[in-house]
Amino acid sequence: MSKTVIPFGPQHPVLPEPIHLKLVMQDEKVLEAIPAIGYVHRGLEKLTETKEYTENVFIVERICGICSFMHAQAYCQGLESLMGVQIPDRAKYLRVIWGELHRIHSHLLWLGLLADSFGFESLFMQLWRNREKVMDIMEETAGSRIIISTNQVGGTRRDISKELLIKITIIVDEIKEDMRQVEKVFLKDYTVKHRLVGIGVLTSEKAYSLGAVGPMARASGIKMDLRMTGYAAYGELDFEPVVEKDGDCYARTSVRLKEVYQSVALIKQAIAKMPAGEISVPVKGNPTGEIISRVEQPRGEVLYYMKGNGTKKLDRLRIRTPTFANIPTLLQMLPGSQLADVPVLILTIDPCISCTER
Amino acid sequence: MIENVIEISVDQLLIEVQNAMYDEYRFVTCTCVDTADGKLDIYYHFDKKLVLKNLKISVKKGDEVPSVSKIYFSALLVENEMKELFGLNVTNILIDYGGHMLLSDDELTSPMLKQQIVIVQKGEE
Repeated sequence: MSKTVIPFGPQHPVLPEPIHLKLVMQDEKVLEAIPAIGYVHRGLEKLTETKEYTENVFIVERICGICSFMHAQAYCQGLESLMGVQIPDRAKYLRVIWGELHRIHSHLLWLGLLADSFGFESLFMQLWRNREKVMDIMEETAGSRIIISTNQVGGTRRDISKELLIKITIIVDEIKEDMRQVEKVFLKDYTVKHRLVGIGVLTSEKAYSLGAVGPMARASGIKMDLRMTGYAAYGELDFEPVVEKDGDCYARTSVRLKEVYQSVALIKQAIAKMPAGEISVPVKGNPTGEIISRVEQPRGEVLYYMKGNGTKKLDRLRIRTPTFANIPTLLQMLPGSQLADVPVLILTIDPCISCTER
Repeated sequence: MIENVIEISVDQLLIEVQNAMYDEYRFVTCTCVDTADGKLDIYYHFDKKLVLKNLKISVKKGDEVPSVSKIYFSALLVENEMKELFGLNVTNILIDYGGHMLLSDDELTSPMLKQQIVIVQKGEE
């Protein structure tokens, strides 16, 4: 049978951002997938070499809207470690709260997009309606819905009042209750399961050897989550990564769904244990030397390499984002799959192309 | 400072990366740094149980560096990226984009290098 090459993207209804895949097909079966990126490359790593290290916080936040807070967190934590800055405990807890709020809104966004990809519009709307509650908290605590700019080298720029912390506790409980309703649809509905169970299976060995990170790795049975290292205040909170065994689209959905509950629990723990005190310390001097900082973003591990030369400007800032690590898994999952499953398969790596290309 | 940095020569690279594979390390990524003295430092980051191990090689610009993508498939994207953005001469990448993974024809060559010299003659477009 002859082969056909089908271009998938860069503009496609299921793709929030542009990526192009050349799908070599035989009938309805994918034989090979070759990715092409470069549509949103902005040269942000180079830009950071021209700005002062304190200004770079605002640049790294703009790598990606969805995990902007964690980009700034990874950057600030790295420089604080390099410069020997000990940030106040309250700032560590604030970073956990805002970080987990970002994880919730990222996962809710992704779950909505997944529902949309298999044509379940009402489910998509339920999830995004729920997500709005997180966006409202962001606006109320930081003055902005997406890029909240609350991190700085030395701590956080803003505090959250006691009244607002109580309000957050109530709202995250509402989110949890709303999730209980849609959870049944995601995990038990016959048609949804039909589109997810047994599709795009990635074994534990394969996921590890391909360098999968985040929910991609955890859905394949790999217990790997950088929050286990205890950065920020995670070391003082009860935390156990969500792990599934099957490695298919259903398992990846299940991991992200359960991580919403986990984030709610972490936020409530952080609020309950939040110490009083300062939220930042003054930082003097300039960074010298090299450091690597890693943080668990909603999509997985992000790595920051920073090299300072004793001036206000960094010599080099290198960022490896989670989607960059997960694209190779997609290239291994697609061959052998059916064309109708391709959109769902692409979505289950939760691709962020702005992150990937920077 | 970065912990667990092992400096090796380019000749040792494939052997050391193969050893990392045998020792069940996960490939994380590579980092290329222009040292501004005509050399490039390349770090190969590996992870095992959330602890990093970093192999470091130093090469002159234009020197050949063998691709590790046949050992770790996931290295192919970052190797293509280093080839394009730093002009690093990585050879035998499993899927070689020929310098066009991120950049188009009319982009500056190796835009991440410290020194970019663009000579435009008078009257030239």
